[in-house]
Amino acid sequence: MRTSLNEIKLIDGRIFNTNPPEEALLFDAMLLINPELGQGLKWQQKAHSIIKQYSRRRLKAEIEAVHQQLFQKPEHSTFRRRILSLFQKK
Amino acid sequence: MAQQNTFGYTAADREQAFLTLYKQAFPAVAKYVSKLGGSFDDAKDIFQDALVIYYERSAVNALELKLDEKAYIFGIAKNLWAKKFRENVFLESVENCEMNFAHEEDTQPSAGKLMHYLETAGQKCMEMLKAFYYDNLPVKTVAELFGFSGERSATVQKYKCMEKVRETIKQRSLTYEDFLE
Repeated sequence: MRTSLNEIKLIDGRIFNTNPPEEALLFDAMLLINPELGQGLKWQQKAHSIIKQYSRRRLKAEIEAVHQQLFQKPEHSTFRRRILSLFQKK
Repeated sequence: MAQQNTFGYTAADREQAFLTLYKQAFPAVAKYVSKLGGSFDDAKDIFQDALVIYYERSAVNALELKLDEKAYIFGIAKNLWAKKFRENVFLESVENCEMNFAHEEDTQPSAGKLMHYLETAGQKCMEMLKAFYYDNLPVKTVAELFGFSGERSATVQKYKCMEKVRETIKQRSLTYEDFLE
């Protein structure tokens, strides 16, 4: 892997705390003398935050599609009636 | 570290798993919410958020959660309901930090623009990064799902995608000055 990709791998190791102890120490030392590495860490943390948001959106869309199936398709009408009856005003 | 197949590996597997969970666990949650005066939409929102939390927990540690899925999801939903309506209910078993997830998105207008860009121009990379980091799938499985010749190629592509997304965020943040600051 090229150097920049190895750096991304190392930063991931730092973020998820999976770097071996020697590498973790070396990384922290490099952070002190290399401001660009610190910037890389900052942007990669933001990238992980965005990936999580993206993934949750996708997962929520999948769950909503299942909901629509259950509450629209005829084969699930028994289930649908059972649920909706809970919310009927008496 | 990788997911133990609780939800399977593909969208079709997840669809089946969510159908089963919906049928098993939603009636109890709906009954509970209804009893406390909530609407069908309240029950739906609470239950769907509970499923997301359950999915994320099982992606991290599948074995712990195989004991009783229905009871576990019901517990999360109860806590979400308590939080949503600020009832004086003791929050148990699920950490508070997990409860805040539903509202941490879209807090920055420019983050929405960036997300839209990534969802369109960078979707393939985002899907792969989701598989690695969110679904926590094994490298071998990701390689198969995304058509790579082997685990090494998939791993290299993962870091290339991370590099691309990282650079995009950096560039866009300079354009949208208020992004994530």
